Amino acid sequence: MKQLLIVLEPVIWFMFGQGIMIGTILLTGWLIVVGVGVPMGLFPADALAYERMHMLGSNVIGRVVLLGLIVLPLWKGAHHLRSLAVDFGGGDRDAIVGSLLYLIAIVGSLLGIVAVIRL
Amino acid sequence: MARAAHPQAMQPKKPGTTRTAPPKMPDGFPGKGRYRTYVAFETTGLIYLLMGFIILRAIWQLGAGEAGWNGVMDAYRNPIMIGFHVLALVGVIFVGVRFFWLFPKAQPPRIGPVRPPPAAILKGMLYSVWIGTTLVMTWVLAGGAF
Repeated sequence: MKQLLIVLEPVIWFMFGQGIMIGTILLTGWLIVVGVGVPMGLFPADALAYERMHMLGSNVIGRVVLLGLIVLPLWKGAHHLRSLAVDFGGGDRDAIVGSLLYLIAIVGSLLGIVAVIRL
Repeated sequence: MARAAHPQAMQPKKPGTTRTAPPKMPDGFPGKGRYRTYVAFETTGLIYLLMGFIILRAIWQLGAGEAGWNGVMDAYRNPIMIGFHVLALVGVIFVGVRFFWLFPKAQPPRIGPVRPPPAAILKGMLYSVWIGTTLVMTWVLAGGAF
């Protein structure tokens, strides 16, 4: 298991790096409007009406942005939680903890691909 | 006094000929000075992981139909959910500021024949893309366009 993680390290680091950079860039606007602004009444609720959001999300650019919003944070989260587990719990369980976290990110990423295809 | 680190934290595969002291966690870890910022940066991983799944659920429901999407919007109006999203926004801004501060320092002296731009220009480019994308996404999502 540990050997597999070492072999996959370039892929893991690529996804982690994109998660920090592009994930952060995309999440900020999403959180400002969808997470905070509209629920608190700072922006009109009509902006997130079903027809409008479906229209925004179902074109090619919308699907790519939404996929990035789902997939990239998962990989940033998985890798940083793995680092946190090593810092606080040592390296003995790293292979299991790391594999489990990346498995969660892989499953979430596959479900994300299905979710944007369904739009 | 530093607390004991995990005994196998830095253990080599084969025992060396030189005796070494047992590993210790550095003074101040995890709650003081630079370690606090470092641990906070790693801890944002939990926020990002949860955000990935929260957005996955929202997009899944968007694909399921109007009732599903409206259910997501109702859930987002819950004060606990608003509180989490505010925390997530603070975490995301913290990650962005720290990462864009670190990014120029992590550049190699040369990338092939090309030198990376000076740190100030790199930072300016990163912040421009971040702020610009945020403004465009906010404008589009809030109903300013389309």
